[in-house]
Formats: sequence, structure tokens, C-alpha cells
Amino acid sequence: MIEVDELVKHYRATDGSVVRAVDGVSLAVRPGEMVGLLGANGAGKTTTLRVLATLLRPTSGTARVAGCDVRTDPIGVRRNLGYVSATTGVPDRLTPREILLSFGRLHGLERDGLKARVERLVDVLDLGSCADRPTGRLSSGQRQRVSVGRALVHDPPALVLDEPTNALDVVGSRDLLAFLSTLRADGRSILLSTHRLHEIEHRCDRFVIVHGGRIVAEGTRRDLVGEAGELEDAFFLAVQAAAGTAP
Amino acid sequence: MSTPRPASALSAAAASAVAVAGFQIRRLLTRPRLLLAGLGMLFPAAVMLAVRGAAPVPLGRELTVTMLYALVPEAVCMLGLLVTMCPVVADELERGTWIHVAVRPGGRRALLLGTFLAAVTWTSVVAIAAVVAALAVSGTSEPAGLVVMFAALVLVSTAGRAALFAVPAVIVPKRALVASVGVALVVEFLCGLLPAVVNQATVSLRLRSLLANWMGWRRNLPAEIEMLVDPAPAWVHLGAVAALVAVLLTAAVLILERRQFPPSEEG
Repeated sequence: MIEVDELVKHYRATDGSVVRAVDGVSLAVRPGEMVGLLGANGAGKTTTLRVLATLLRPTSGTARVAGCDVRTDPIGVRRNLGYVSATTGVPDRLTPREILLSFGRLHGLERDGLKARVERLVDVLDLGSCADRPTGRLSSGQRQRVSVGRALVHDPPALVLDEPTNALDVVGSRDLLAFLSTLRADGRSILLSTHRLHEIEHRCDRFVIVHGGRIVAEGTRRDLVGEAGELEDAFFLAVQAAAGTAP
Repeated sequence: MSTPRPASALSAAAASAVAVAGFQIRRLLTRPRLLLAGLGMLFPAAVMLAVRGAAPVPLGRELTVTMLYALVPEAVCMLGLLVTMCPVVADELERGTWIHVAVRPGGRRALLLGTFLAAVTWTSVVAIAAVVAALAVSGTSEPAGLVVMFAALVLVSTAGRAALFAVPAVIVPKRALVASVGVALVVEFLCGLLPAVVNQATVSLRLRSLLANWMGWRRNLPAEIEMLVDPAPAWVHLGAVAALVAVLLTAAVLILERRQFPPSEEG
């Protein structure tokens, strides 16, 4: 379960001014649910996800993962959350198997159980053919699958993904999103941000549209789009209305 | 999918730090880094050969030891640590790996302690090889005892200074190299040479004092030089460096645990 309540995050810019990156966002992702967080660049998506991942501290409001508060129990949050970013950040010189083992050890997992877990991930993520090749020689899709494996190595009940399909081609994106659907079916809570609305239009259970650090629309695809039309149209309408430029 | 059980807290923390150390040593095995290590190993021997060739009389044991002390536990160790310890956070931010380490339960602590272990191991190996090479060309009699003594000095130097450089590395990651050079100049060389209480907190005082102690020089030192060493027994100096390492690493871990990096600071 992921819960965000009246989350506010301000930064101090280099010129001394205060940037309100997130300004009162509230959302919840239940177990077995996949929610899409949509917004233009600078809307506050990444900041929201990074507060959930304990990379940034909230200015006010609360954010919880599996009941653990990011402010009072960041270690609990980290135990229960898998985080995937657009930049895979996988070390070029290590192999997928070595990366999964190393990050499993960062979670303090026991050696034998960890090995079995890594082999299972290599199998599930279809990394068998490249598991012992340095990741610098892998394709973007394979690197992103390693990144997803790294986020799943401790078997977290919640997943946060920040533009995970950015560097992927159509096939890679489709495979990744299909895999995320299986994780949702396992009962995990999944919150993902993306700019590629058409990819997740029929995959997510609900959508949250943010603009200027605030939620401007939310609901199921049907709530936002109606019977006809596309999510992209609903997104533009919501953002333009919030910006005061609605047609 | 079954979840492996977590190990006990202490063994998990140690395993995490060792995992990161292995990770960092693998990263150091690149051609440029190996070339730099090779230069570090051969540079003191080259200086020793040059001095030996230019000197009208054979170098005495004391002069050889003094030169080697300045070249290895001071110069080679310091330069090696600037390359291996200073970029502990900056490299991760640049490579985009920071966020993936920082979202693990003990990730930040493991990153710092693992990099500390890797920096100390890598630099010590280079420095001890440099001692062996320099002594081999120096013509000093009975070099084995000197190798053991210098190996101990190298370990004290690398551990103490890696911990010292860890602090600027977590406070100003992107300017860690410049800040660490400043810290080395002000703390290690300026404060370390002041005959005042402040030099008690420096690694350089402990190293000089250990050298004077182990070489049996204390009784013969001129009064001016005597002020620059501490007559306490070796175990006091070793304990002082161990305490300094513990305090500095704890401070660095605490700072790193609280550090926030907005997305704009990465990449």
C-alpha cells in the first residue's frame, strides 16, 4: 500500500527563491493496483516519487509505504519499496547476476536464499542469455530489465517507477509493462510515472494527473475519458484547464 | 517467488560493506587506474635511484628511511586516496547509481564504508609495492624489517586519511577533491606541524611519532624536531588513529544519511 497525504516539497533555488515542486498532493495505491502518475516536465512527478523512495524529505504532509512513514521510518520504507528510474544506473563493468547479488546483499539477505532468488529473477526477467555479460554490452531493454530485477531483489510489496520505459523501444516497453501487470496480479502496489500515455492507457487501473505540483484530475480511464476518446486528450484538457488556457 | 531471509543486523551490515568494496575494486580495474597505480608503485623507486645516482656517497639507512617516509606513507598514500576515496558520492551521482544505492536500507552506510575499505585496500597494496620496489633499488641492508614497519605506517596512513577525506566527500561531493586537498594542507600539514594540542588530532603527528618510535630515533632527535613528535608508546598512537577513524566515519555516515540530492544535482 502506498499512501501520500497533503504532501508538500519545497526546494530553495540557487537564486534563493523557493520552488514549490509538490504542493499538497494526496493519493493512494492499494495492493494489486497499478496507478499512472502523469504530468508534464516539472509537474512534480519525480519529486513525489523520490519522497516516497526516501531520497527527499517532505516539507510537510505524509507519505507511507506498507504503513511505514518516510519521515519516521525510512528504513522500513526502503525494505518495502522497489524503485526504478529512467536512467537505469547499472554499473557497466558488472554482469546482471553480479548486480542482483550485490544489491541483494545491500538488503542484508542471506547468501543461499539470495542466490536462489537471483536465479529466479534472471529466469522471470528473461536475462538468462546475458546474465554473465557486463551490462555495458547489453541493449537498453536488457539494462532496464536488470534495473527492474534490482528493484525486485528483496521482493517488495510496493513498486515505484519513474519513467521506466523512456529508453525502451516499442517491444521493450510492451514487455516491461506486461511484466508489471504480472506483478500487480501478485498483489503489489505499483505507482509509475510516464510521458508515454498511450502505453499505459489500458494497463493502469487509475490515473493521477499533476500540474504545477498539484493534482488536477484523477480517476479511472473511463472517469477521465468517458466512453470514447483517448487519455492523451483528457490529459491535455486537464492540464490546460489548470493552467488557465482551456479552449 | 520466495523471499530470502534477512541475515542478522551486524553480519548484514558487514556483508553490505564488503559487497560494495568488491564492487568498487572491480570499478578500479580499468586501464587508466591500473596505469596510475603502476606509476604510484614505481615513482618512489625512481626518485630513490635518481638520488642514489646523484649522491657523492652511499645513502645511509636513516636518510633512506626518511625519504621513503615522505614518498610513500605521505605522498603515495595521499594521492592514492584522493583518487579512490574522494569521489565516493560524486561518482555515484554522475553515473546515476546513487539513487539505487540510497533506496536500500543500509545503502548509504554500506556505500561509504565499502568505498573506505576499497580505498584503503587499493592504496595500501600500491603503497606497499612502492616500498618494496624503492627498498630493492636503495641498496639498504636488511630491508625486510623496514618493509614490515612501512606496511604498518601505510595502513595507518591510508585508514586515517581515507576517513578524513570521507567528510568533505559527503559534504561537498562535487568539489570533494579540491576540499580534500585543502583539508590535507590545512589539517595534516599545517596543524600537524604545529607543536600544540591541535596536532594531536592529526594522522601526520601519529605517523611521525610511530616512525621515530619504531626506528628508535626518539633519543637522538634534535630539540626542534623533538617538538614535532609525541613520545607516547606506539599503542597510544595506533589507538588515537583508530578513534579518529571511528569518529570521522561515524560523522560522515550521519551526514550522508541526512543528505538530500534534488534531481538537478544528478547526472
